[in-house]
Amino acid sequence: MMTYIVFILSTVFVVSFVSFSSKPSPIYGGFGFLVAGGIGCGIVLNFGGSFLGLMVFLIYLGGMLVVFGYTTAMATEPYPEAWTSNKAVLAMFITGVLAELLTACYILKEDEVEVVFKFNGAGDWVIYDTGDSGFFSEEAMGIAALYSYGTWLVVVTGWSLLIGVLVIMEVTRGN
Amino acid sequence: MNPPIFIIIMLTVISGTMIVVTTSHWLLVWIGFEMNLLAIIPILMKKYNPRAMEAATKYFLTQAAASMILMMWIIINLLHSGQWTVLKDLNPMASIMMTTALAMKLGLAPFHFWVPEVTQGISMSSGLILLTWQKIAPLSILYQISSTINPNLILTMSILSVMIGGWGGLNQTQLRKIMAYSSIAHMGWMTAIMMYSPTMMILNLTIYIIMTLTTFMLFMHNSTTTTASLSQTWNKTPLITSLILVLMMSLGGLPPLSGFIPKWMIIQELTKNELIMMPTLLAMTALLNLYFYMRLTYTTALTMFPSNNSMKMKWRFECTKKMTFLPPLVVMSTMLLPLAPMLSILD
Repeated sequence: MMTYIVFILSTVFVVSFVSFSSKPSPIYGGFGFLVAGGIGCGIVLNFGGSFLGLMVFLIYLGGMLVVFGYTTAMATEPYPEAWTSNKAVLAMFITGVLAELLTACYILKEDEVEVVFKFNGAGDWVIYDTGDSGFFSEEAMGIAALYSYGTWLVVVTGWSLLIGVLVIMEVTRGN
Repeated sequence: MNPPIFIIIMLTVISGTMIVVTTSHWLLVWIGFEMNLLAIIPILMKKYNPRAMEAATKYFLTQAAASMILMMWIIINLLHSGQWTVLKDLNPMASIMMTTALAMKLGLAPFHFWVPEVTQGISMSSGLILLTWQKIAPLSILYQISSTINPNLILTMSILSVMIGGWGGLNQTQLRKIMAYSSIAHMGWMTAIMMYSPTMMILNLTIYIIMTLTTFMLFMHNSTTTTASLSQTWNKTPLITSLILVLMMSLGGLPPLSGFIPKWMIIQELTKNELIMMPTLLAMTALLNLYFYMRLTYTTALTMFPSNNSMKMKWRFECTKKMTFLPPLVVMSTMLLPLAPMLSILD
């Protein structure tokens, strides 16, 4: 199982996306989002990005999702829709899961699959050969580069996040 | 909107577009598009009515979907070419899909459905920014990838856009929807020439922006949003009546005016590349555009449109709206044709 862990995690990732894309109430959708975030962290970890996986949990789930959860709790409705309480939501969920399962079976059965780019069964999900990275972790080098050569990128992304907050406040001001 | 917040948001809209235009890294392109989109949402929602909110939501959904498609194909291009530079050869499939994503952002057919609805739901000044400034960023990326664009795709989209811009605008009386269909048609002209001479696309964009700016400013000066209201301009501000006449003819591409320059240059470049049917088709469907501009001209400047007698005797107040730069813009939108020989510096 460990050789196929990235493939399994990716499949469950898509299924958790389906779980909130089928639009139940935000409380239940938030749960699917949480699971998706955790699985995404797992995928990042499997490619050697230990620091970034931790960042996903801390900042993304622990910061942004918590804020999302609190705002959802403020806007809660008396009869929230779960996945089984509404036929439309259930149908969308089943469609999404079926599509993903069929895709996964297609990938596993055929030896070589060419959808957008060729990949050899589940082989390409198993061994991701990006070449020899030497003694340094590429991920740590990338983060170091972000804060040294990539100052402009930090400025731009920081500004975008600030603007995101200002825009949300402007939009919800409503007078 | 609170003035300091408005300034910050406008700065972000401008810097988002500037980042897209000046960067050579695909990730920054995506970041610029998202910054631009995020910051323009409150501008679209300046008035807090449900119509404006619906328009802002529609704009956000289509543009966000287009950005996502663009991002996916940026990453697939990275997978195939191993680098993030914008100017290098694109994977052909990535080029097709990026063109599609950018067409969604521009409002080219068959992704044009959001343009009239969004333009109609927002205020005139927001519509101005939407139809002029927001076109700069996607067109700049199309300019940069123009050598690898699939001709079938882009020419189909451009012919469809000119046709839809023409036929769609025929049944409209609301000025904002007319300008939206006008924008769709002009985008069609711009993307038609993109493959053969991207410089002419920039020329068309410049002249289109000047003319659309002027048109919107004249409409804002009058505070009109419908044809019927525009037809009372002779009573409110007679000068604007004659300006609308000349400007509509320029938008339609009639010869002694500036609007003729891009059409002429585009048809010339297309025929130099041995396409004959296509510029013929473009020119003929541009006549549909001309028809509804002429209808606006006719009702505004050439007849007294039916109205109550009380509407024929209005108080003339001084206009308090700040119409920055309007006289030079009017001159630029109508009198640039004699400068067309300067285009020989492009050779």
